[in-house]
Formats: sequence, C-alpha cells, structure tokens
Amino acid sequence: MKVLNVIINLINAAVLAGTPLLLATSGEILTEKSGNLNLGVEGQMYMGAIAGLAGAWFAEQWFGTGGMIPLIIAVIFSFIMGCISGLIYSVLTVTLRANQNVTGLTLAIFGTGFGKFFGEVLGHKAGGFVAVGQETKAMFGNINFGKLTETPFIGTLFFRYNWLVYFALIIAVIMGWYLNKTRSGLSLRAVGESPGTADSAGINVTRYKYGATIIGGGLCGLAGMYMSMVNQKGIWVTDCVSGYGWLAIALVIFSTWSPLRAIYSSIIFGGLTVMYMRIPIPGLPTAIYMMFPYIATIIVLILTSIKQIKEHAQPASTGLNYYREER
Amino acid sequence: MQHFKKLLAILLCALFIFTVVACDSGKDPVKTDPSKPAESGDPVDTDKPDDPVKPDDPDKLSLENIKIGFVHITDPSDMGYTYNHDLGTQKMQKELGLKDDQIINKFNTSEDETCENALRELAEQGCHIIFATSFGFEDYVIKVAKDYPDIEFCHATGYKAASAGLDNVHNYFGKIYQARYLSGIAAGLKTEKNKLGYVGAFPFPEVISGFTAFYLGAKSVNPDVKMTVKYTHSWNNPTLEAQLAQALIDEGCDVLGQHCDSTAPATAAEAAGVFHVGYNSDMRDAAPNASLTSAVWDWSRYLVFAINKLIAGEEIPVDWGEGLAEGVCDVSPLNDAIVAPDTAAKIEEARAKIVSGDWDVFTGPLVDVRGETVVAEGETFIEPASAPSWGYILEGIDAQAD
Repeated sequence: MKVLNVIINLINAAVLAGTPLLLATSGEILTEKSGNLNLGVEGQMYMGAIAGLAGAWFAEQWFGTGGMIPLIIAVIFSFIMGCISGLIYSVLTVTLRANQNVTGLTLAIFGTGFGKFFGEVLGHKAGGFVAVGQETKAMFGNINFGKLTETPFIGTLFFRYNWLVYFALIIAVIMGWYLNKTRSGLSLRAVGESPGTADSAGINVTRYKYGATIIGGGLCGLAGMYMSMVNQKGIWVTDCVSGYGWLAIALVIFSTWSPLRAIYSSIIFGGLTVMYMRIPIPGLPTAIYMMFPYIATIIVLILTSIKQIKEHAQPASTGLNYYREER
Repeated sequence: MQHFKKLLAILLCALFIFTVVACDSGKDPVKTDPSKPAESGDPVDTDKPDDPVKPDDPDKLSLENIKIGFVHITDPSDMGYTYNHDLGTQKMQKELGLKDDQIINKFNTSEDETCENALRELAEQGCHIIFATSFGFEDYVIKVAKDYPDIEFCHATGYKAASAGLDNVHNYFGKIYQARYLSGIAAGLKTEKNKLGYVGAFPFPEVISGFTAFYLGAKSVNPDVKMTVKYTHSWNNPTLEAQLAQALIDEGCDVLGQHCDSTAPATAAEAAGVFHVGYNSDMRDAAPNASLTSAVWDWSRYLVFAINKLIAGEEIPVDWGEGLAEGVCDVSPLNDAIVAPDTAAKIEEARAKIVSGDWDVFTGPLVDVRGETVVAEGETFIEPASAPSWGYILEGIDAQAD
C-alpha cells in the first residue's frame, strides 16, 4: 500500500514536472519542423514567465479582482510575449539570415535578462514580493473534480492537476494531428526537410517558417508562465525557469521530433528529475542520481542514430537558413 | 534593400547587446575616480591639495570620508540572503548617517575571478573597508588583502581569517542557530502529525547546524516530533525547491522548514494546506496562509560595529559571531492568525533562556542517528568559530544521504 502510494505520488510529481517541458517541447518541435533550430527557449520562457505574472498582477490592480480575469490576461500576455520572442528570432534568421545558433543563444541570454530585469522593476513597484492574490493562485492550483479527485489512486493519478496539464496534453495531441494528418502540416514538414523542394512546389517557405516559429515561441511563453504561476504560485522568484528551457531542447531529441512521443517522454524526463527526492537508492550518490535525465537523453541519441529511422531524425534543413537564390 | 537589411541586423544585434549589458550593470555604480587622471602624471603625489574630502587632516578617517565596499553573490531581488544583507547595509547607512556615494555595491559577483576583480576595483576606488558576503569569496579575499594591507576586509560565513596570518582579514557570521531554535518552536507546536520536513541546500555544516537547531526547538515543545531532510544540492533553484517541498508533503510532513533562497517551499506548503517556517525574509506576504515565522538576520549590527572600530582606530576582531542577545538574528513577527496558541509565550521563554547566557541550543544529552552520544548530559557544544562546524545528524532526523 505504502509502495503503491509512493509510486502514484511519483507519477503525479512527474506529470507536474513534465508539463512545462511538454509545452516548451511542443513549441520547439513545431519550430524545428520548419527548419529553425531555436536554442533560445530558456529566454523565451523567462519572457513568458514575467509577462504572465505581470499580466496577472496588473489585472488584479486594474480590475480589483482575482480569479478568472487575471488568469485570462496572464495566458494572453505570456503567449503574446512568447510570440514576440519567436518573431524576433524569425526576423533575424529567416528575413535577415543571421546564424541560427548564435541568434538562439543570444535570445536565451536576452530573454533571461529581460525576465530578471522586469522582475526587479516589478519588485520595486510592489515594494517587496510580487505576489498575486489567493483567488488567482487558486486558478493555477489543482482543479477540484469533486468525487473524482477523492477516489483513491485514480483521483491522485488522473484528477489532481492544474488545468495547464490537460491543456498541454491537448496541445500535443492537436500538434501531432496537425503535423501528420493535415495538408498544411505536410507542407510545414516539407519546408523543414527541404525548403528548396517545398518552394518549387509552391509552398511559401517564409510564411511557414514565420508561422511555426512564432506559434512555437508562444507555447514556450506559456511554458514560462507555468514556471512562475504554477511552480512558484504567482510570485516572482529570480531564476524561476531554472534551466527548463535547455531541458526542453534536450527533450525534443529525446522525443525524436514527435509531439505525441513528447507526451510520455516529458513525463519520463520529469519523473527522472524528481525521482531522487522520492525513491532513494542506497549507495547511489545523489549527484549521479541527478544525472539520470541527461544519461537517458544520451542513450536515446545513441539508439536513434544506430537505428537510423528517417521518421525519428531531425528535419534535414534544421539549423540552415534558406537562400532562394542558392537553390 | 540588401544594405538596409544588413544595417537592420547590426542595429538589432547592438540593441540586444545593449539591453543585456544595461540589465547586468544597472545597479553597479562604478564611478571613475576623479583623482585618477591627475595621478597618471605623478603617481607618488598622494596629498593632493585639490582633494575635497580631506583637506585639513588627510589621514584622519571619519564618517564623512569613509568609503565602504560590498561584494554580493546575487542582488536584492533574490528576496533572500543578499536581500537581507542589503537591508543591513541600508540600516547601517541610516544609523551612521552616510551618503549614498560612500557605499559601493558589487552585485551578481560569481565565486571565481570575477570576485577578485570586484575586490580590486573596490580597493582602487578608495574603499577603506570591504565586506564580501558569500562563502566562496574567501580565497579571493585573502589573495587581494595581501596586496592592500591598509584596507580592512571582512568576509561573512568564512573560517580562514584566523589562519591567514593577515591583520586586515576578518570573518563574521552569527549564531543563527539560536533564531532557528526559536522558529523551530513555532513548527513543533503547529505540527499535528509530528512530522516536520526540511528543504536543505547542501549536506554542509551551515545547513546541518541550522536544521539541527530547528529540530531541537521543535522537540523542546513536542518530544514526539520527527523530521525528514532532503537536499536540492543548490543554494538557489526555485523549481527544485518547490518539487522537493511537494515530495516532503507527500511523505506526510505538515510543517516545512527551509535552508534555501526562494519562497517556493512556503508557497508549495500553502497550496497543499500545510505550514511553513522560513529563512532570511519574512514570507508572510508570499504565503499568508502557511508562513508561521522566519529566522532572519540583522547584519547592520556587525557593519556598524566594524566601521565604528575602524574609525576609532581599534582592532576589528579576527572572528566575530554574535547572536540573539545582541540582536544579530531573530525570528520575524509571528503570523498570529495561524500559529498555535502559546507559541509567542514559548518563544519568549526560550529567548530569555538563551539571552541570559546560561544555556545554549546544543546542550546535551544529544544522541546521533547511530545511537552515539555526541554531547553528554550537562555539557554544551559551543561553536569554536563564527562559521558553523556542527555536522552530527541527531536521532529523530531522517536526512537524505549524500
């Protein structure tokens, strides 16, 4: 009974740890499917994190009420801020053809500074903690499904989450469907594999690259909002993203560029990061235990490169800018 | 068009760099020394007549002309350690009536050569006394202090000043364990399952001493209490802290303590409907329904003490560590709405005992997890230096192995 409880709680924690990763990974997969290797996820998440928190905080002041309105504004703000970060990246790499790696890394540094700077500005404005009210906190807390939540085991396993968990799942499923079952998704994949061919077939490469990178950035922004609003419960804490943006990039490889595989791989990955806290392995140094997610990523990398399945490979043009004149 | 695009790319990159650089050094008032250009021609001339600060008696150090430098690992937005230290600076400034330009802060200094550079910059800017506040700064402090024998260097949380063989290096810390003990009383009275949880940073004496005192405080009012400790292996990782707090709550802990920087354990406790005792800052605003109290510092006590000593021309002690009696550490105001009845009275009782000087936290009999007596009955473990050295895990504490 006790062991079962520990395992169920571990799965519960794994899902909660995996959700921001799933959102950011979905966003990054969409971006990479268009041939843009965006390494700036960490920065995009910081921008989303501060925008979401600032949105909720100001909404509480403007409307004088907590709850639904700050929630909606937080979602809109963080998504738009994520989109803006994607737009910056697109303008630099697609239109101006700047080097993708450098642009991504710069975006990571810029976004981190952006988040921390405005976090501090907000802190001065608030004169202490930037904290949202209890009602708004509750909106990002676990949903109460009534009897379902109280059901032993099942309740903890499936009905003890905040709404973003279910939202992230739906997004990943929709994206899997979009990429694999729609004409537009096919075109996007074509752009990522071979933009020259796609261009010849009459697909607007620039438009697809912009669209995918901007929406992908928006999802990263929402992932950032998860870090500040759910993990930190609506309080600005410096370093709140804690490197999850980099984890998301690793997770894209881990899930071999598939949003559907990202669902379980993000839960496994999240589980590996929190497992050391819950299931001690006697004799195993914690420092080694904490490496597990990264060891797993390396193993997946090795396995996929041995098996050489084309569907599991990185889109062929990822990281390369498209010059129409050099087709 | 092509030229325009290139230009735009350059401009955007410049904007990026500007924003990043501007954000980094926004709070870093590096002022160029007005006497520098004149000096370049004639480096030996130190008694310049045009120096506005010390025209009459150039050697006389006073509150009007003293310059004080600080090196911090983060900036006050951490709402934790650096925030607390900076509050101490502000209080000291007010108390001594110093002007803003007499204090130079170096924020966000990492524990590597950056620290050495920061210390040298402060020394060259004419600081008379420099405070370095993070543990990892110590070796750099000693290194730089050798080159500047006329400048006093004070390092918090370190232990090497006594053995460094330099007159101008000093360590300081405080008996924070006494405040931890008081905050533990609030936790011990509040817990219903008699199970406390503790989010620790590292298995390291400063942390172990802290949670042992916290546990002993709880045990003094609740003999049945047990405690589980888990480590994040980081001084500041808010996400891990939140996850670790949740892991402790899932194991049945109903009051959490912490030795880490963020408010994450407090808010995680609040969301789960359990309670929390903080460290470094009063966290009642962050988690009004969970935060009982916090163990907090008042660093201004030492800053004022050291600066006054320097001005009076007296020796600053090589190692300084005062406690509750001197007001260096204390518990923040209790959250009256949620603390257990009697908490204030019990805390006052213990405070009186500690302040009287007859009794201290680590008084025997204390037995560790292996059943060995580490402090015998009637004896008291006194820290030999200001930096904690206590490393025993006591019976009743389930600390995660390293």
